[in-house]
Amino acid sequence: MRLDHIRNFCIVAHIDHGKSTLADRLLERTATLDRRQMREQVLDDNDLERERGITIKLHAVRMLYRDPAGSEYELNLIDTPGHVDFTYEVSRSLAACEGALLVVDATQGVQAQTLSNLFLALDAGLEIIPVLNKIDLPGAEPERRRNEVADLLGVEPDSVLLASAKEGVGIDEVLQAVVSRVPPPAGDPDAPLRALIFDSYYDKYLGAVPSVRIVDGTVRPGTSITFGNVDRRYEVTEVGYLRLGRVPQPELAPGEVGYVVAAIKEVADTRVGDTVLDADRRASELLPGYREARAMVFAGLYPTSSDDYEDLRDALQRLKLNDASLHYEPETSGALGFGFRCGFLGLLHMEIVQERLDREFGVDLITTVPNVEYHVRLTNGTEQRVESPTALPDPGRIESIAEPVVRAHIMLPADYIGFVQKLCHERRGVFKGMSYLDPQRVEMNFELPLSEIVLDFYDRLKGGSRGYAALDYEFLEYRPDDLIKLDILVNGDPVDAFSVVIHREKAFEYGRDLVRKLKELIPRQQYEVSLQAAIGGNVIARTNVKALRKNVTAKCYGGDITRKRKLLEKQKEGKKRMKQVGTVEIPQEAFLAVLNLGSE
Amino acid sequence: MPADAFPPVSVGGGGDGIGTVSGGAAATVASVYVHAPFCVRRCFYCDFAVQVRRTGGVDEWLEALAGEVAFVRGEGLFGLADELSTLYVGGGTPSLLGPEAMAGLGRVLGPERLRGGGLEWTAEANPESLTPEVALRWREAGVNRLSLGAQSFHEPALRWMGRMHGADGAARAVRRAREAGYENIGIDLIFGLPAHLGRPWREDLERALELDVSHISLYGLSVEPATPLGRAVAKGVEAPVDEEGYREEFLLAAEVLEAAGYAHYEVSNFARPGAESRHNSVYWTGAPYLGLGNGAHSYTGHRRNGGGPVRRWNRRDWSAYRNAACSGASPEEGRESLSVDAVRLERVWLGLRTTRGLDTAGWKERARELARDWRRRGLADVTDGVVRLTREGWLVMDRLAVELEATLSP
Repeated sequence: MRLDHIRNFCIVAHIDHGKSTLADRLLERTATLDRRQMREQVLDDNDLERERGITIKLHAVRMLYRDPAGSEYELNLIDTPGHVDFTYEVSRSLAACEGALLVVDATQGVQAQTLSNLFLALDAGLEIIPVLNKIDLPGAEPERRRNEVADLLGVEPDSVLLASAKEGVGIDEVLQAVVSRVPPPAGDPDAPLRALIFDSYYDKYLGAVPSVRIVDGTVRPGTSITFGNVDRRYEVTEVGYLRLGRVPQPELAPGEVGYVVAAIKEVADTRVGDTVLDADRRASELLPGYREARAMVFAGLYPTSSDDYEDLRDALQRLKLNDASLHYEPETSGALGFGFRCGFLGLLHMEIVQERLDREFGVDLITTVPNVEYHVRLTNGTEQRVESPTALPDPGRIESIAEPVVRAHIMLPADYIGFVQKLCHERRGVFKGMSYLDPQRVEMNFELPLSEIVLDFYDRLKGGSRGYAALDYEFLEYRPDDLIKLDILVNGDPVDAFSVVIHREKAFEYGRDLVRKLKELIPRQQYEVSLQAAIGGNVIARTNVKALRKNVTAKCYGGDITRKRKLLEKQKEGKKRMKQVGTVEIPQEAFLAVLNLGSE
Repeated sequence: MPADAFPPVSVGGGGDGIGTVSGGAAATVASVYVHAPFCVRRCFYCDFAVQVRRTGGVDEWLEALAGEVAFVRGEGLFGLADELSTLYVGGGTPSLLGPEAMAGLGRVLGPERLRGGGLEWTAEANPESLTPEVALRWREAGVNRLSLGAQSFHEPALRWMGRMHGADGAARAVRRAREAGYENIGIDLIFGLPAHLGRPWREDLERALELDVSHISLYGLSVEPATPLGRAVAKGVEAPVDEEGYREEFLLAAEVLEAAGYAHYEVSNFARPGAESRHNSVYWTGAPYLGLGNGAHSYTGHRRNGGGPVRRWNRRDWSAYRNAACSGASPEEGRESLSVDAVRLERVWLGLRTTRGLDTAGWKERARELARDWRRRGLADVTDGVVRLTREGWLVMDRLAVELEATLSP
């Protein structure tokens, strides 16, 4: 297909503004998939994911579209992940496009992710086609929202398309706008191969399969490829594009979007943002914008039963095949035994990994309190990076501790400005400005330590604004502050899994709340258990869990032993979820107790 | 009871079932429990299968039991032994059924099975309904052990519980029982009552000793959700059981009763030498038993179709039970086939209940280490390879059972 008949675009939107419904309608209208196939596709995906531990999403689907004038176009719709943890991935997907549909809910208007996605799309130099969706809903205010979006983009209100993806209204107009407004890709077919990897999935039979956008050159079966940032060589066995499944093609040419099969061992070789090169004819320059996926949040993952350590290791290994952004390395905790320190892109990523380990691999886990990476400057002038509070050097050797600070954008109804100010202030936030999107809605900007966000910030924000406030953030810089390590002592012994790095001014309140919370969570034992929060050798809060004085089902009459046994079985189940730390049994939930502090 | 009939329970040494027998024929049971569901009123704390009525309907009771016995005979899971070893009539309030109830029950079960000299036939009675006639006619029918629901000698406590007898009721009932010729008399006492009742526990124990009975059962008050007490606690009107008080009363009772010559042979039972309840030990040792009446449980280690031992239970509701039993249908409400894990847990828990204890033969090292740890902490004695819980151990027995079972599981 000629370059000027190719359009590469994506859809960006705030969550629930109708991105997937619009995508479905486009596929339907171009007869790429019918409704039945789409349903099956969804079902198949789930089954496949479950059975084979792979993810096949509609990451880049090719549509053929004939415009009213009768010309045929190849439209590549590139999907983007929809969460703040995956901002970098989103930016790479956008880099594979020339245009973006910016979908805005006609009832809700512009939201936090609308803005952050829009800025990413503008950064990528994309042509933006605003689409006001859900115009059929009773609460829709199409004219008001249209003006709002037009103001935001600095365009004429008429250029904002009106649609209802659910009802199939305005779909043709969207397709025509993609053809007429999104510029065709450019590229030099004779130049050495350069293709941008914007996604990759792992297939048990094919290995890692990257999704690519060809920028220059061509790739075809038999091409020897390598990567800009991974020194490996593979021979391509198949190229093509994705529709219901893989559709093999003789080659992928400049401007085209498709997949490459080359028996690539793991997704870590096909890093998002990296450049695919011809191994025999390396281009002199890589595509811009690549960076290593950087873990922002760290936590220890430990098997509840130490017998399951090997299982956990195997499960992490298999997850890693499909998730290049997951980092892990062995770690030993005095309290929890052998486990792994894992790095995640963000909290959602951490939850996904936990969930998959539990559901797909059946590993019973204890997760420690998530923390960020600290940069510790030592008195001898060297710097150390610390991913775990327990790894913090002796206080005497520490010159200063720096922590990651993010730039946070919070979108909220104006009624909650006071609440958000207060919350961010409590979290050591620095107010950086505020702008009204309309008289009711405000975007507030703060610089916040990431460590203050990874605990319960998001829940508090949602809770305090009746669900209306939305958060987005990006990494800003490392900044030193008055940070110290707080330990929790159980029966006088520090339990490393409870240690946190915290600002000195917040340590007392945190320690007091945490020992109180632990007192609720730790069941009574044979002996009294003392709980203390301490900084260095200095105890700042203490409480005790009273001893268990009675635990007996004295009556046993009439032969109803079944019921009594069931009570015992319940105790037994409870005990299984306990971790033995010294002589004290601590339930799994206790290790994440801090996430619920201050929620009362 | 002779000591050699009371060996420690073995667990973890390879046996996979309690009292397991195999083969195609019905299991022979020599122990029968019969439930008498009627009560004049429901006690404040009671969650048993009880039917409230003014007078016991002895005729319908016997009719329903006869129906169930016929059903059981046809079913072929349990076969009654030619001579029963123990028969226990509990409730409810069996004494409410009147003087003819036990003779009638004898006819239902087959008088020939009850003639053996070794039969322990226990019937429970409440002080107010154990009339001289009831005591005498039951004795004539073959009942040779009476268990009296004394509970307390303290008027406010009895009132609070909803008992029908007064402070002197228990003593009168014991006298009547003696006059009717019973030598083997036991009483139940309840402890762990709310402090606001001012129940004088030590005095109650002394009053109990004055009765000079051969057996004393101690029941710690437990708050069950589906009882008036449970609802009162949930509403905050009544205090939950005070663990410290419970503990002190349990320890005091054990001390006082043992000093008076009663052996603390099971966590909640005390007996003069030789007067241990043989029927209850059937539950603790895993021998088969047949339960008749509403809500009654039956158990057999006999394997059917390769499954585990079976425990089953009858419908709890009296009318539902009676309708099924009288029409020749199964009154069963549910049953379970015990897994190897369930058997092990029960064996450990039941084994720890009694002074027979658990035999450590065949135990893994971690289980032995746990037993040594208990001994160090004063929770158990370990003598000649047998673990027996101390009073302190019995107070946290459920937890210890769960701990030990974990070390014995593969």
